[in-house]
Amino acid sequence: MQTNDLSVPLVAENSSEPSIVQIKELSKIYRQGEINVTALNRISLSIARREFLTLMGPSGSGKSTLLHIIAGIDRPTSGHCIVQGVEVTQLSESELADWRNQNVGFVFQTFNLLPVLTAFENVELPLLLTRLTSKQRKKQVLTALELVGLADRTSHLPRQLSGGQEQRVAIARALVTDPQLIVADEPTGNLDSTSAHEVLDILRSLCNDAGKTVIMVTHDPKAAAFGSRNVHLEKGELAP
Amino acid sequence: MSIGGFILRNAVRNKRRALLSILSVAVSLFLLVTLLVGLRELTQPPTDEASAARIVVRNKISLGNLLPRRQRATIEKIPGVAAVTPFTWFGGKFRDEEVMFGQFAIEPKLLLTIFGEAKMPPEQFEAFVNDPTACIIGIKTAEKYGLKLGEFMKLQGTFWPIDLNLKLVGIYADGIDDRNLFFHHRQLDEMPNNTGEVGTWWVKAASLEDVGPVVQTINAAFANTTAAVRAETERAFQLSFISMWGNIKMLVLSICSVVVFTLVLVSASTMSMAVRERFRELAILKAIGFRRRELFAFILAESFGLAAAGAVIGVGGAWGIFNHTDLVASASQNFMVLFEVTPRIMGQACFVATLLGIVASIAPSLSVARMSVVEGLKTLD
Ligand SMILES: Nc1ncnc2c1ncn2[C@@H]1O[C@H](COP(=O)(O)OP(=O)(O)O)[C@@H](O)[C@H]1O
Ligand SMILES: [Mg+2]
Repeated sequence: MQTNDLSVPLVAENSSEPSIVQIKELSKIYRQGEINVTALNRISLSIARREFLTLMGPSGSGKSTLLHIIAGIDRPTSGHCIVQGVEVTQLSESELADWRNQNVGFVFQTFNLLPVLTAFENVELPLLLTRLTSKQRKKQVLTALELVGLADRTSHLPRQLSGGQEQRVAIARALVTDPQLIVADEPTGNLDSTSAHEVLDILRSLCNDAGKTVIMVTHDPKAAAFGSRNVHLEKGELAP
Repeated sequence: MSIGGFILRNAVRNKRRALLSILSVAVSLFLLVTLLVGLRELTQPPTDEASAARIVVRNKISLGNLLPRRQRATIEKIPGVAAVTPFTWFGGKFRDEEVMFGQFAIEPKLLLTIFGEAKMPPEQFEAFVNDPTACIIGIKTAEKYGLKLGEFMKLQGTFWPIDLNLKLVGIYADGIDDRNLFFHHRQLDEMPNNTGEVGTWWVKAASLEDVGPVVQTINAAFANTTAAVRAETERAFQLSFISMWGNIKMLVLSICSVVVFTLVLVSASTMSMAVRERFRELAILKAIGFRRRELFAFILAESFGLAAAGAVIGVGGAWGIFNHTDLVASASQNFMVLFEVTPRIMGQACFVATLLGIVASIAPSLSVARMSVVEGLKTLD
């Protein structure tokens, strides 16, 4: 169940290739009866390793759609999306599921956590799909929670946490499997500025200190300022 | 946390709904088991060898039509017949009430020959045979009415135009039905204006091999007389008696199917609801790498768990009440004596529960399979 077992052409030139994501001519068109909605229009984009890329743009410009395709939870209508050398658009449903488990960490805008599980258990979820023993899982979960500064909140349920703490637990869950890529869709959209700052700080340090690649959608310029590169989307196209 | 713990946590997240759905499964399965047990009780013929060798002869027209006394001599002469007794239902009121114990007029000295199973002290039997005004009763009736030996029992005739005052001289136990009362057929024979009729003849065949030929010979013997008869084994007789209730088996079985059908609908909609409100969470699980088959397994396990919990309460409760208390026997005034949950009935109820668990998870599994992650993420609680 390793990614390199998958029978997918390795399009990446070699492992020293600095870009982790290569997007070529990517389009996503929604057909609604007679009307076609073009969410993404022939986008080409390359994202380097250890980059903290922020995606900005007005509502409906296709930011989430792009992020979903890169993260392997949505499929494009045409074009290529190569992540870590794997053409994700060609993986089957279950190959994609495995691939996501090992390569991508998700942080969504709200309701990231399962309400019936504690912070610890929420973070542990992705590890239930691995072969780790419960002792190994525990170690990794605690490390991740420590990284986001919540080692003392392990047995709290989501409703017993503040919005900012919830997002930090979500980040801990995103990085517990040690993926190269972290994707976040407006992670600070519902937070006050102090909590937002904490969350953005953590994302930045994941990039700078832990060597992760972070892609974050936001429409807040202050949040975007935390990134190392900013990309604008306008009506499904990259704005210059 | 284990996967099992995760499933359990989800199953009981909405405690009231989980409880209600477990209870609805429990109540329905309890009802199902009760119906099946009742059906078995009503249609269960005696299966021992003695009863297989007994033959009941009744009027071909109906059980309500009587038979002439002179038939007895003819029957006794048939080869393979060991004994014949008149056996007439009296159906009187006792202590001014309709009662649930049968009262039968018979020939006392043949009682043990023909109905050998019941246990009674020999001296009580002796007393019964020797006193034409005597009667014996089963232990259940004796206990129910607190009757003692030597007491007189007044029976008011309803079907027969006569009141009886019988001296209780014997109490038997371990018969087919420990409720019945037996008295001398002479009481009816010597009644004023008696036309010399009996309700039925009960015949004991000399051996099991004789049963078939004896039945045929008796039927043929009276075929063209004014009182044509229908002879059959006791077992067949009991079964035909049941069918007089209308097709009770069909009725009970169709109620059972309605119960099961309703149960399936209720469970399926409960599971669909439980899963629909969890769409976003299931989408998140998908995003972090859980595959369809794992989500199916969660849903199936939850649905199955609820059905199993309901089965434990419903079927277990029925088993506890029916097999370990006398509630039904006393509530039905000893009309339903055995009322026993057999392993077979338990198996049937558990099979229904299993089926339920599976069927209820089909629709939610399909909708989860169709749901894409992005679509699921858009649904907010
Ligand atoms: N399931 C869908 N069906 C039809 N149109 C959709 C669907 N999802 C998104 N869209 C359209 O695609 C465009 C981009 O959506 P999205 O990526 O969510 O925008 P953003 O995240 O930038 O606000 C929008 O115009 C939106 O209406
Ligand atoms: Mg969006």
